[in-house]
Formats: sequence, structure tokens, C-alpha cells
Amino acid sequence: MQHHTSGRPASRVTLVVLAWLITMAAAAALIIHIPIVADLSAFLPKSPNPRQRLLIEQLHSGVAARTLLIAIDGGDAAERAAASRSLAAALRGSGQFEQVQNGDDDAGSMKATGQWLFDHRYQLSPAIDAQRFSAAGMREAIDETVSLLGTPAGSLVKSTLERDPTGEMQRIAETLLPAQAPRSERGVWVARDGPRALLLATTHAAGADLDSQQNMLHAVRSAFQPMAGRRLQLQLSGAPVFAVQSRSQIEREVKLLAIAGSAVIGVLLLFAFGSLGALLVALLPVVTGVVAGIAAVGLAFGQIHGITLAFGSTLIGEAVDYAIYYLIQAHGKGQAGSGWRRWRDLNWPTVRLGLLTSLCGFAALLFSGFPGLAQLGLFSIAGLCGAAVATRFILPVLAPDGATGKGLRHHLGGLAHHAFTRLPRLRPLVGLLGVAALILVSSQWSHLWRGSLGSLSPVSQAAQDLDSRLRADLGASDARTLVVASGSSIEAALQAAEAAIPRLDALVDQGLLAGYESPTRFLPSLAKQQERLSHLPDAATLRARLAFATSDGPLTAARLEPFLGEVQNARALAPIARASLQGSALEPAVDALLFERSGGGWSALLPLHAVDDSALAERVRHALGGLAAGNDVQVVDIKYELDSLYAHFLNQALLQALLGGCAVVLLLALHLRSWRRIGRVCAPLALSVLLTLGLLAAFDVALGLLHLVGLLLVVAVGSNYGLFFDQLQTDGRADPDMLASLLLANLTTVVSFGLIAMSEIPALSSIGRVVAPGALLALLLGATMARVGRLPGRSEGPGASSRPGV
Amino acid sequence: MRGRLRWAGGVLAVVLTIAARPALAFDFDGLMTLLAQRRSGEAAFIETRVVQGIDVPLVSNGVLSFEAPDRFVRRTLRPRPESMEVDGNKVTLRRAGRSRSFSLDAAPEMLGLVEAIRATLTGNGATLRRHFQAALSGDAEHWKLLLVPIERGQVKRIQVIGLRGELSQIEMELVGGDRSLMTIEALRTDKTATTATPP
Repeated sequence: MQHHTSGRPASRVTLVVLAWLITMAAAAALIIHIPIVADLSAFLPKSPNPRQRLLIEQLHSGVAARTLLIAIDGGDAAERAAASRSLAAALRGSGQFEQVQNGDDDAGSMKATGQWLFDHRYQLSPAIDAQRFSAAGMREAIDETVSLLGTPAGSLVKSTLERDPTGEMQRIAETLLPAQAPRSERGVWVARDGPRALLLATTHAAGADLDSQQNMLHAVRSAFQPMAGRRLQLQLSGAPVFAVQSRSQIEREVKLLAIAGSAVIGVLLLFAFGSLGALLVALLPVVTGVVAGIAAVGLAFGQIHGITLAFGSTLIGEAVDYAIYYLIQAHGKGQAGSGWRRWRDLNWPTVRLGLLTSLCGFAALLFSGFPGLAQLGLFSIAGLCGAAVATRFILPVLAPDGATGKGLRHHLGGLAHHAFTRLPRLRPLVGLLGVAALILVSSQWSHLWRGSLGSLSPVSQAAQDLDSRLRADLGASDARTLVVASGSSIEAALQAAEAAIPRLDALVDQGLLAGYESPTRFLPSLAKQQERLSHLPDAATLRARLAFATSDGPLTAARLEPFLGEVQNARALAPIARASLQGSALEPAVDALLFERSGGGWSALLPLHAVDDSALAERVRHALGGLAAGNDVQVVDIKYELDSLYAHFLNQALLQALLGGCAVVLLLALHLRSWRRIGRVCAPLALSVLLTLGLLAAFDVALGLLHLVGLLLVVAVGSNYGLFFDQLQTDGRADPDMLASLLLANLTTVVSFGLIAMSEIPALSSIGRVVAPGALLALLLGATMARVGRLPGRSEGPGASSRPGV
Repeated sequence: MRGRLRWAGGVLAVVLTIAARPALAFDFDGLMTLLAQRRSGEAAFIETRVVQGIDVPLVSNGVLSFEAPDRFVRRTLRPRPESMEVDGNKVTLRRAGRSRSFSLDAAPEMLGLVEAIRATLTGNGATLRRHFQAALSGDAEHWKLLLVPIERGQVKRIQVIGLRGELSQIEMELVGGDRSLMTIEALRTDKTATTATPP
């Protein structure tokens, strides 16, 4: 093997360090190009059912992910209205936005839209059916139009009376009237509960494109700068803000935690080894592990999630264990420079087995079907492998005899022995605690795992409150129930939506539904357009019927001559296609509600506005029951679907973790080949997981995916302790170095995860709050259930002889 | 003597002034207080609209009802049944079997129109003043309240004519010259909102 060339240590050191540096530099070059993402949908499964897949697609690329809520506070009403207008104008001019709305109807695009709707009214009006242009139908329609004259609403009708006496434009406008709209004051949107102007902007950039979103936010703030001087303040909210904030918060905390963790562990190691060189050597596997983890995730996924990156800081506390084991345990008993060989023969198999055990646990994550969890799994596997490989192959070259300094580690060994030999006395107490935890955890099992997707979000409560306030003001709050109409083509999807619409209208008329939106309002199916146009009579028929319809009415037929011409023109109109909306203000409105499915086919979305939130989805599902076959129409309650999706796959992840646990036992069984030894390793591990869960249950913590990851880490870290205790017992003699390494490794783990437990990012603090107590328990329980044995060179180990054998 | 007489005359003048004040000082707030005493009511209306370009006046009739603090319904019976129901900030329009609801304050024009009647009926002076420049003439027996919208829109001015605590006429003039005149006849008024109406 290559290690036998100990004759030229200097050049060998140089060579190895150089190779390591080159590898790290290459990996770093790879890493800096990996985009960081922060959307929580990564923690939703990859391949759910079609309804759920649609939901996830919408979370990724839907209009909600691109919608910015803007509030202007302070000043007086006139100042706010003026600021709203100039900010809207600036944003519209910037070209970064698909749409900027502030309630100002005078904005140029509104007029063009109105004209377009008017020109296509005979294709768009929902009122047109076989009866509409009969003599009786027209009389009825004209009467209705006339009934609006002389009221403020009549001014619009009056200007087009001769061209549109049946009021088709009025009927189109009626469907476009939003059930929930912001309050309007001085021509712009304002809040209901306070002095605040409101705007809504949709970006061109995709929601997941965080760099563009960040630039966009910056552009909005700069556009507001000229107004900021006048007592006015800008507030931004919405998905783009949350995503950008989450990412920068994660990046900030990752840095902070990495620095704090490294500093604390550095100080601990300095105390333990009393040597700066040993400290640097100890950090080498850590750096290798973190770099390997990020590079592996980048290569496999093409991006890295902020939470995965944050998770990287948790690896510090774990990867440093390998270095600690090596640095303390590798010491030459006989000749100098042979310590590494002795460690390789004696202890490396144990570390390797511990590593394999950990990998089993994380492999469960790899195949979990959650892209986010798979990232965490791959990161951990690559990170631990990197750290272990660095420990096994690089540390022996740099520090052939482990740590040279004395430091306090001998005291640590003595302290550990003193404590560990007394711990078995606590067995009855541990037993009792175990039973109590078992009862608590099993009785609350399903209640315990109630964490929701939202609980992963690092967005602060204050920011969430502002968001829901602005949403309520903008009337954008309760479109949480959707009707999704799908088909193999745009036409099929639109037809399915049109099949659902009469049922929805009936609910609206009964007051059970406040309203709904639909892409078919601007883009009816071709079939529907043709059907409407087919109801327009030819010139002679229309003229005859109109004469009858207007007899003894307030409008004379002669006056309605332009109407006859308009109807004939409409009959020859080309159908409205999706392409004909391109570049118009209506394009984004339709695009937001109509999209191509990743798995093929198209879907039309019809967001519903509830009267009250109770059981809307059920009511609509009932109303849509029995639609003609071939119309793929589904009702989706977003929050319910997301929660049940998360809950369902959380259960699946629990099952996979359990399988991972079985794989761990199997692996140990294969290596240890002794029931007694398997029990010795597994019992404290299982008990520490149980007591950790019991502790979390006692504090009524809602557990989620990240807690599960934490438990897997407890198993990963704890299996090393268990295996070392097993090795001690197999040897029959206490090795003070090994005890010291266990205590130090545990100390660094508990301290670094303790730091993480204090993080403001819920995903991180969840892991920290599981691993810090779990790892401590794993060590203490391992010692409690083991026989540590006497220290060599001491005739009377305290307590060692008095303890009865198991 | 003359001094004393003069003094007595002064007192008399003061006394007379004080005694006469309620009648003389019938002002906006006084009217509002008077109107606010009614908690609910129902009235038949006949509306005549004169529209530029339409030769015949458009006549409709129906029922207005209100219930303090903020419920107001206008139900047209003839020539076409339709209704507008306002409850707080929610408006529901029903016409030919169709129903649409929306937020009143999202449509400022409609809000002004609704408040001209609703706030007058319920004696909500603050709300009236938020939307209109109000000018009162006449006395408590026959008063005339002129409302000019502060925010300019389709409505030029609204004039409400009343007899004591009752409204008798609402006249509206639109910007294009169209006018409507609504004459109102009370069917029922209740001093308390809790009084149940027999079916």
C-alpha cells in the first residue's frame, strides 16, 4: 500500500496536502456556480397524484409566486394617491412587470382592454344563447339596458346604446366585477383599516428565479426613492419577498452558525489538545465533508436548497467526531509514527461500521421522494464519506501519531471513566423513564407528528401578519379553493371549464359562492365562440325581429340601425385564439389561469371566492357532481391538499426511516454476528431515540420532517458511541483515550447542535433541538448500559469491582 | 325707571332668544339627530327618470327599506323586478335571476349614491360629510338637504326633501343632464330596531 513510504515524510505530506487542495479547489469552483433556492415546495413529494402535482406546479411557477404586494404608508391621502400613481407608472415603465395594478382605471391599458372586449362582445357575452336574439329575447334585453339609463351606471350604457342595445358589454362587465376588491379612494386602491395605498405587481421573472426577484425588489425600492422623502414609507410583501428574505436569512444564519460553531469547537479542541496544529488537522475532515456534501448535491440536483446549505453547518459537529476519534486514539504505543497504523487496525473498523450505519439511515432520505429530503440525505452521505475518507487517508499523513499536544484530554479520559463507571447505577431510573416515554410517545403518536409545511418557513410572524393584512385589503386572501378543468388541449380544458361554469353561476345566484375567475371570460373555447356567433341572425331576420322587439318601447328600431351592422360584422369575425391575446393586458390574466401541464395536456384554473370559508370545496364538489363524462374537472382546496400531502408523505418518510433503522440493525448483525453485541449497540440507541421523542412530546412540540432528520442524525452519531462501547467491552479494559475521545466528540456535537437549536430558521432549530439532547442521551445511555471496565495501571477502579456483572 | 325698563327689555330679549333657539337653529346636526331616532323603516317609491335622447320618461316603482345601522334595500317591482341589497360594505345586485355581490367601497360612485340615501335615512352625519358637501335649508317641518359629491363622478348633485323625520323626495342630477326624481311614501317606521315586522 502507499502508506509504506514513510522514508520521505516531508514530500509525502506536501503531495497529500497538494492533492487535497486541488480537489477542494475543483469542488469550490463547482460550488460557486450552484444556484441557491429557498422555496418550501422542495419539501413536498416529487410524484404525488395529478391533483397534487398540479398544486406543486402552481407553487413553483404559478402567478402567486410572482405577485408582489406593495403598500405605501404615511403622509395624507392625497400624497399616498399621488405616490401610488407615480410608483405604478415607474414600475409599468420598467418592463420588469407583466402587470401593475393600483386601481387606477384611467391607466392606458384599461381603455384598450375595454375596446377589445367591446369589439369581441358577441364572442364573449355569457348571455348569448338561442333565445337572446329572438324578438322576445331582444325585447327583454333592451328593457334591461334601458332600466340602467338615468342612473350613474347608465352613463357607460348610454354611450353605446345604438351599437349594443342588448347590453352584451354590460353582461361581460358584470362577470368581471370582482367579489372582493380593495377599497377605492381618490381613484386608487387603499386599505380599509388604515391610511395606506395598495398596489399589486406581477413580475415577468419566475418565482423560483431568486436573483431576478431580488433585483426586482431592489428596482421597486429605487423607484420609490423619490417619494420616500415625503413622509411616505414603502412596505413590500408576497411570495417573492418571502423567498428572497428566506434565502438571505438562511445565508446569514449559515455564516453565523458556521463561525460560531467553528469557534466554540475550536476552543474545545484547543483545550483538549493544547495544540494549534491538532486543531487545524481536526478541521480538515470537517471542511472536506462540507465541500463534498455541497458539491455532490450541486452535481446531482443542479441547485442547492437553502435549508440543505443551512444543514451543512450541522455537519460540523458530526464530522469533527471522526477527527477527534483519530487524533486521540491514534498514538504509537511502541515506535513513533506508527500510531496511525495501530488506529487503522484497531479503531478504523469501528468508525467505518459507524459510518456505514449512518449511511443506512440517510439512504432512507435519499429515496424518500421529497427532493428537499433527498438533498439532505445526499448531502449527509457525501459529507460523512468525505469526512471519513479525509480522516482515514489524510490525517495519518499529517499526524501519524494523532494529536501531539497534551492539553486536558487525559483529564477528560479520567473524568469520563469516573462518570461512566457510575452511570450503570441509574439503570432502574432509565428503565422507568423509558417506560414513561414509551407510553407518552405511543399514546400521542399521531398527534406528535403534526408539523405542517408552513412550520418550515423561516418567515417571521410579523412579516406573515403584514402579508395577511395586505391580502385581506386587496381581496386576495381567500382564493384557496380552485376548480381545475383539464384536457388534452387548450380547447378541451376550456370546454371542461365551460361545462363547470353554469353550476358555479348557480351557486353564485344562491349566494353560496361570492364569485370566481375563469380564463374563459377572455378566451372562450372555439366551440363556445362558434356557438355564440351561430345564434346571431342574418341582417333581414334581425331587422324584422328588432322591429317587433322595439315596438312601443322607448327606443325606436330606426335609431338602432348601427346595431344591425355590428351584428353582421361580428358574424364574420375570426375566432379569438390564445395567440390573439398576445401583448395585450389580458394576456397575463389568461396566462395566470391557463397552463400546460408538465405531464402533457392543459389545465384551466378557476379560483373561487368564498362567502364564508366553511366547507366550500365540499359544496362545490357536490355542485359539480354528475358533469358530462369527459370533462376532467376537480376541486382543489389548496391548504387542505398541502397539509394532507405533507402529512401523508411525512408518514411515508417515517416508514422509510423505520426501514432505514431495520437496515442499520441488519448491518450491525452482519458485522457483529452476536445477538448480545447487537443488543449492546442497538438498545441504547433505540432508547435514546425514544427518550428524545418523549422529551419532545412532554414539551408538546409539533414534529415534522426535519425532526425526523434529526432523529436519523442521533442514530448516526449514537451508533459510533455504541460501537466504541462495544469495542471497550469486547476488549474488557477501559481505554482512557477512547473514553476521552467519546466525551470530547459528544461535547462538540452537543455544543454545535445546541447552537443550531437556537437558530431562527425553524428547519435548523428543529434539527438542533432533536440532536443536542439525543446525542447526549446516546452517550449517557451507552455508558449506562455498558460495562466500561477498569483503567489499565490502576488496581482499583472506583465502582468497577463492586458492580455485579450483567 | 327707564333704566329698569330697559333692563327688563334686555332680559325679555334674552329669554325670547333662548326660547326661540330650537326652532331657529334647525341645523344639519339637528336634522341628523332627528333622523337617527328611527331605527328601521319601509317606504314605497316611485321613480321617474328623464334621460337625454329618450323621449318618454322612464317610470319605475318599488320598495325601499332600511335597518340601522347599515342595512339598506331597494327593491324595484315594476317594470322589471330587480333589487339592490346593501349590508354594511357588501352589495348584492339581483336582476333577472342573476346575482352579483361585491364590496361597496370598491365602487366609489355606488358608495356615494348608497350613502346619500342610507346615511340620510339613518342620520349618519359624519358619513354624509365624508362624501358630500351638505347644505340644509328650510326648517324642521319642511327641510331640503342639498348634497354635492366631494369626489367628482357621474352624480352632479342630490337633493333630499323631507317632512320632519320623514324623507319625501330624492332628486338626483347626473353630469350628462339626466335627472331622476324619486317620491317616497312611508309604509312603516320603527323607533327601535328590535320591533318585529308582522309578515
